[in-house]
Amino acid sequence: MEGDSIVDSQEESDNESEVDKEEEAESDYGDLEEDEIDPNFGHNLNEPLPEESEYNPIKREYPEIDPVYDSDSSTEENENTVGNIPMHWYDDYPHIGYDINGKKIMKPATGDELDKFLSTMDDPDSWLSAHNYKEGQDVKLTAEELEIIRRLEGNRIPDAEYNPYEEQVEFFTSKTEVMPLSAAPEPKRRFIPSKHEAKRIMKIVRAIREGRIVPRKSGYVPPKPKFYNLWNDAEDKPREDHVMHIAAPKMKLPTHDESYNPPAEYLPTEEEIKEWNEMDKEDRPKNYLPQKYNALRNVPGYGQFIQERFERCLDLYLAPRVRKNRLNIDPESLIPKLPSPRDLQPFPTRLAIEFLGHIGRVRSISVDPSGLWLASGSDDKTVRIWEVATGRCMTIYHLDELVTSVVWGPNKEVAVLAVACGYKIGLILPEKLFSPELTLHSEEYLKAGFSNNATVEANPKATWKQPTPSEYEKGIRVWIHLQKPVKQVTWHRKGDYFATVAPEANNSAVLIHQLTKHQTQQPFKKNKGAVQRVMFHPNKPMFFVATQRYVRQYNLQRQELVKTMQTGVKWISSLDIHPAGDNLIIGSYDKRLCWFDLDLSSKPYKTLRYHQQAIRSVAYHKRYPLFASCADDGNVQIFHGMVYNDLLQNPLIVPVKILKNVHERVEALGALCVEWHPIQPWLISSGADHTIKLFS
Amino acid sequence: MGKLQKKGKAGAAVNYITRNQALKKLQVTLADFRRLCILKGIYPREPKNKKKANKGSTAPATFYYAKDIQYLMHEPILSKFREYKTFAKKMAKVMSKGQYSTAKTLAENKPIYTLDHIIKERYPTFTDALRDLDDALCMVFLFATMPKTEKIKAETIENCQRLAAEFQHYVLHTRSLRKVFLSIKGIYYQAEIKGQTINWLVPYQFSQDVPTDVDFRVMLTFLEFYQTLCGFVNFKLYSDVNLVYPPALDLKLDEGGAGMNALIIESTQSAANIAKTLNEEKQRLEESEKRLKTLSNKIAHIQESNSYETTNGNSSSSKNNNDNDNDNDNEDTMDEFPAPLPNLDGSSSDTVTFSDIQKASQHLTQFQSLFSQCYIFLSREVPRYSLEFILRACGGHVGWDPVLGEGSPFKENDDRITHQISDRPTQGHRFLNRHYVQPQWAYDSINAGKILAADPYHVGKTLPPHLSPFVEAKEGDYIPDQNQFEGQTEDLEIESAEEDEEEEDEEEEDEDEDEDEDEEGEEEEEEEDTEDLHQRELEAEAKGVAFTEFEAKENKKNAKKTKAVTAAADVAPVTRSAGKKRTAAEAEEAEAKELAKIMMTNKQQKLYNKIQYGKNKKAAEVEKLTKKKEQLAKEAKAANKKARK
Repeated sequence: MEGDSIVDSQEESDNESEVDKEEEAESDYGDLEEDEIDPNFGHNLNEPLPEESEYNPIKREYPEIDPVYDSDSSTEENENTVGNIPMHWYDDYPHIGYDINGKKIMKPATGDELDKFLSTMDDPDSWLSAHNYKEGQDVKLTAEELEIIRRLEGNRIPDAEYNPYEEQVEFFTSKTEVMPLSAAPEPKRRFIPSKHEAKRIMKIVRAIREGRIVPRKSGYVPPKPKFYNLWNDAEDKPREDHVMHIAAPKMKLPTHDESYNPPAEYLPTEEEIKEWNEMDKEDRPKNYLPQKYNALRNVPGYGQFIQERFERCLDLYLAPRVRKNRLNIDPESLIPKLPSPRDLQPFPTRLAIEFLGHIGRVRSISVDPSGLWLASGSDDKTVRIWEVATGRCMTIYHLDELVTSVVWGPNKEVAVLAVACGYKIGLILPEKLFSPELTLHSEEYLKAGFSNNATVEANPKATWKQPTPSEYEKGIRVWIHLQKPVKQVTWHRKGDYFATVAPEANNSAVLIHQLTKHQTQQPFKKNKGAVQRVMFHPNKPMFFVATQRYVRQYNLQRQELVKTMQTGVKWISSLDIHPAGDNLIIGSYDKRLCWFDLDLSSKPYKTLRYHQQAIRSVAYHKRYPLFASCADDGNVQIFHGMVYNDLLQNPLIVPVKILKNVHERVEALGALCVEWHPIQPWLISSGADHTIKLFS
Repeated sequence: MGKLQKKGKAGAAVNYITRNQALKKLQVTLADFRRLCILKGIYPREPKNKKKANKGSTAPATFYYAKDIQYLMHEPILSKFREYKTFAKKMAKVMSKGQYSTAKTLAENKPIYTLDHIIKERYPTFTDALRDLDDALCMVFLFATMPKTEKIKAETIENCQRLAAEFQHYVLHTRSLRKVFLSIKGIYYQAEIKGQTINWLVPYQFSQDVPTDVDFRVMLTFLEFYQTLCGFVNFKLYSDVNLVYPPALDLKLDEGGAGMNALIIESTQSAANIAKTLNEEKQRLEESEKRLKTLSNKIAHIQESNSYETTNGNSSSSKNNNDNDNDNDNEDTMDEFPAPLPNLDGSSSDTVTFSDIQKASQHLTQFQSLFSQCYIFLSREVPRYSLEFILRACGGHVGWDPVLGEGSPFKENDDRITHQISDRPTQGHRFLNRHYVQPQWAYDSINAGKILAADPYHVGKTLPPHLSPFVEAKEGDYIPDQNQFEGQTEDLEIESAEEDEEEEDEEEEDEDEDEDEDEEGEEEEEEEDTEDLHQRELEAEAKGVAFTEFEAKENKKNAKKTKAVTAAADVAPVTRSAGKKRTAAEAEEAEAKELAKIMMTNKQQKLYNKIQYGKNKKAAEVEKLTKKKEQLAKEAKAANKKARK
């Protein structure tokens, strides 16, 4: 590595006496000056070179060679001919190359490092020497070479004589020559316009004319919005109205509370402020809180201004627009005009009598055809008979099951009360209430069947039995035992047949019993759905069966289905047929009351939904155009329901009275049963609060 | 049997197109589509049946009207967008190669689009444009106060300021300002231009805090459209009243902060020109004999005004041009109205009588020259940008403190000044012959349509509440105290005014006083009425007259009374019925109603409940406010008592 740079070695060597050596070196240069030929050498390097006007950069002057004997270096000595190769290849050899004749050039003898050091110490010029690898020995640098090194070190051009800032030599001067350079006549192309160029130009011209090329605008200025009269009042036609064109709605105008100084009542209370702050931004009815400033100077800038404008922008281009027809109608006009209830009197309006005594829910009530006696069956396992006019309890029958249904026989000549009680149906003859003749007649009528009993084969679904003597004493005349609990009993209009419903007894849910013959028939081999209620037609051999959702009308003579009424309710609770037989109403547990016109359609003529809870019972009046419904909300509603003989005229239904909170709600049950007085426009209702009430 | 209809070939399925479909059809990016929609005013729709519109899918989608999108395909702007896209690509390429000279050439040929055709397309008539000017003005006035940011260029702001000033000048010139309102959000103005009411909101002049959650690309696209719209509308408005558009800008005044006064409003026609054109008009109209009289009248009037103008014009400098214009214009409008009307053939006078029109026009002219007798000086702390505008728009003469900008026509020590508007806790030095009022006085006066007494508005006093003039009280609405304006008309003492004007003024005052008296009388009557009303109701019921009939009768009786009074009367029974125990008749009626409700169909019932819900909500709100007011009154009383002790 030492030998890599030529100058390193000498700097290492002369740390001690720099000054002396430099002086010495200067003196050396002085010596050299004398020896060498270059006249410029040794000149102070800091000064610019003397200007030589006739200096020619192309032609370089080299020092003249004195053709003495030694002048040809090639003849000088044995030149190493190995060429430009890494010399360390010869490190292990005694020679360092070959001379021109192919003979080895032996390495010159070199001392060890100590010798080297000593010799450098001895020789004052040693720092001026460099190692020549090809020769294998140190060579003393000449002054010229030193100068080149120095210049290289100073980042200058190595050749001191090279002038980088030459004066320019003009090849063509600005002076016009008087004499032509050649005597040749001027060529034609100099003065005849070029056809080719003309062609090309014409091409461009044509392109410009046709507008294919737009000439560049000079002095480009961004176009300013230029306004002119866009509208001409006379010619402009307004846009035709189109369904799909919906103009943007205008912004709402400010109200009083947006004022900077609103009336004090508009200012929000602290709770309102808190509520407003807690609300989501979208839910807020107004996007600001009213505030009061006592002077205009105190009003600050509105922080949400840009946001609100931005929201408006978004609304304008993002919000779907829909044309909404704002109904501008008086709400009162929606209420139908009905005849005044006053014109439709009589109907019950006031509570007249309360029948107290039961200690359980009164499930069922019935008024006898004469209108004098009221029978009621209750969850306290009793049947009571009351005098309608006074409210006095005449008789109590203690039974061993809950009483679900009590119905008086419709035949005025036979006094009989049918009572459904658990699995049994009892026929009761209240003795003391009726005249002896009637009692006697009834007694015979009830007994008649037992003689018949032997001949007729007993129906296994229902067995007719005689009561025990104690029961007989009470007034019970017949027991009919069924297989499942009975829910409803209903009489045929003539008082001979009666039907019972025991919903749990699948196919034999509906049974028709004949009193005179003590016979029981099963009219349907199979029931479609759970039977809720059944009813005989008031004047035709028809039979109505209400299942959960449908009411079916059967012809008993022909034994066929006549009609299926689609009620549209979820669960029918009650059923009644108009005394004329062409209309029927049903009540449902889903609060609806449906009126069917049997001649009109199998769909309800009218569906009314006014009760808040499930309807328990519905009933038509036998004589007056009235009907009523009662529900679990404890209310009883009375309607005027006029049916016209004219087939073209639809029945008129007018609500005439709401009897509110007739019965208290007990365990989610309210009014359980309504019944009309057969003669008077009186309504009797019973409820879960153990009471029976009569309205007149 | 007709041809079988295939599914998806008609109706909603073809009428609507989802946004993604639209993008695909137009082959534009979402951003470009958004810009197109904003510029063309295309908005999404809500089809009645989304499933049908979306080819059976119920996925949420934005629907556009298919024809809107179809029209977009031929939109010149769309092709410009595409050109711009290629231009941008070319530019990027050239710049990346460092070919700057080519880039320069390219930049010179940058595609530019104009919105003129869109404006004409969206607003085929000028009235349409005016109808949609609200949003445009709000936006322009907002951006006129915005600071310059990276996105909002200085030129945009400058242009907005200019457009806003131009519009304000037009309103000034034609005196078409109708209502003003100081809200917490800013100042609302309402102007009536060509029969259209135009509302706009100007923010209070504070430096706007530019929010980060606002997409300014959307805002600026809107602004771009609105600027063009405002420019064209301004041009039309100016040219309709014979003013030069665009008005020149007085640079010196602009530098001095003169605000909108820096615009020089010039008439297109000199006095001679007007006469000339009118002569031409005369020749043209001579053929029709019917209008001959009118025309001669008109010319006579206009010539008068011309002479007035010339005499005035000589003395006034160019700066005061505006004021003179206003005056002349004012006279024109005052004179024009009555002249042509007597010549009507009586065909159109069936419904609106001549006197009605005359009254209305008189009322309007009075309003337009509301402050014409007033010289109002603005102290340095009041918002000149608004006050100068509204006062001058009602004919006032306004001067201001030099701090507020250059160009004030008179100084603070001018003798003519009648009012000085200042907004400070106390007023130190006072000139004796003028009122020192707070700014709200000017706004309330304009809304009231008369110059209000200055006393309640004096500097340092607690101001009466400032109510919105935009609220039209309907039946059942809560009406805050409005008697604040009653009996407060200002007695003007202006010596320099001409005799005629004074006479007119006196007449006006007389009228006002009369009105006041009437109102007071009515109030007394009303009190008596409320006492008697119940008695009469009962009597009517005894006779068997239906309540509705009775009410109709009552209404007839009250027909003379003002709207507000009747409204209050209507509210009264509602509150009373809620408060006291109902009478038997009322109960019966309520029951009948309840019964009748049973017979309503399901649909009717729902509708009825909906309406009732809204009514109840409103009533609850009114009740809340009245209760609050009572509470406040009680508290105030208690506080007074305490103070006395």
